[in-house]
Amino acid sequence: MSQDLEKRTREVLEESTARLDGRTLSRLTQARHAALDQLQQPARRRWNLFIPAGAAAAAAVLAVVMWSRTSTGDPSPVDDLEMLADSDVPDFVDGEDLEFYEWAAGETET
Amino acid sequence: MTAFVTLRGVYNTPVFRDQELMASRALEQFLASVEKRAFKIAQLGLRNDDDALDAVQDAMMKLVQSYATRGSDEWRPLFYRILANGIRDMQRRRTVRGRIMAWLPQREDEDEESDPLAQAPSAEPTPARRLEIDEAIGTLETAIAGLPPRQQQAFLLRNFEGLDVSETASVMGCSEGSVKTHYFRALETLRARLGEVI
Repeated sequence: MSQDLEKRTREVLEESTARLDGRTLSRLTQARHAALDQLQQPARRRWNLFIPAGAAAAAAVLAVVMWSRTSTGDPSPVDDLEMLADSDVPDFVDGEDLEFYEWAAGETET
Repeated sequence: MTAFVTLRGVYNTPVFRDQELMASRALEQFLASVEKRAFKIAQLGLRNDDDALDAVQDAMMKLVQSYATRGSDEWRPLFYRILANGIRDMQRRRTVRGRIMAWLPQREDEDEESDPLAQAPSAEPTPARRLEIDEAIGTLETAIAGLPPRQQQAFLLRNFEGLDVSETASVMGCSEGSVKTHYFRALETLRARLGEVI
């Protein structure tokens, strides 16, 4: 008796579900597609996670390269930049001092 | 830059894309297999088609957002748990709204345009059976909609969706003993209300 009722109610509900109207079926399909579209978004978001990490790694590599060049005694590119940008750099080819520089160079060689 | 190119290469490998595609297809198959029954359960709980569709869509969105990476055998109880929570929240909001609206004057110019698609059945039933089926569906759905929410939930999840007692208990957030009690009482109520109708 109880099983008959359970079976019959299930059948009637299945029948009711099979007769859902076109608008409802269409909206269910749209809902499913909208939900599944979210699966594409995390892939894009994953790349955003690597941007700060990549920038930090690049900065670290740059710092290590510059530090290693300074410690080996090589002139740093930063020093060159400072020298070029400095307005107080002496003019080595000034005509008045040229004779003095030639004399000084000769004294050093002797 | 090299690092980005290398990582992009990993995510664009055929294996990775195939795994994503397979997961997406499995989820689509699962959602397609439950959506009609889920709608019917929500419709009986909320007695409103639009609210029921919203509840089902919310449940689909949340399942994909939060549990897409879980094993496919976990999706069914998780989906129905999300749906049950959504239905309960809507019922609560509706109760509050109903209390507020009771204080406001009713509008008399509510003429909703009928959508021809909404009236169209998806499959033509045989004329001889149509009246009988319509009557049985109407009577049963009215009786189920009139059940207390927990009894209705237990009955639909067990009898209609086919979840076992353990899964139903997980969805309803109660013990297996409570599920059996709710289900038994629902059956008794339906038997008393339906009699020989179905």
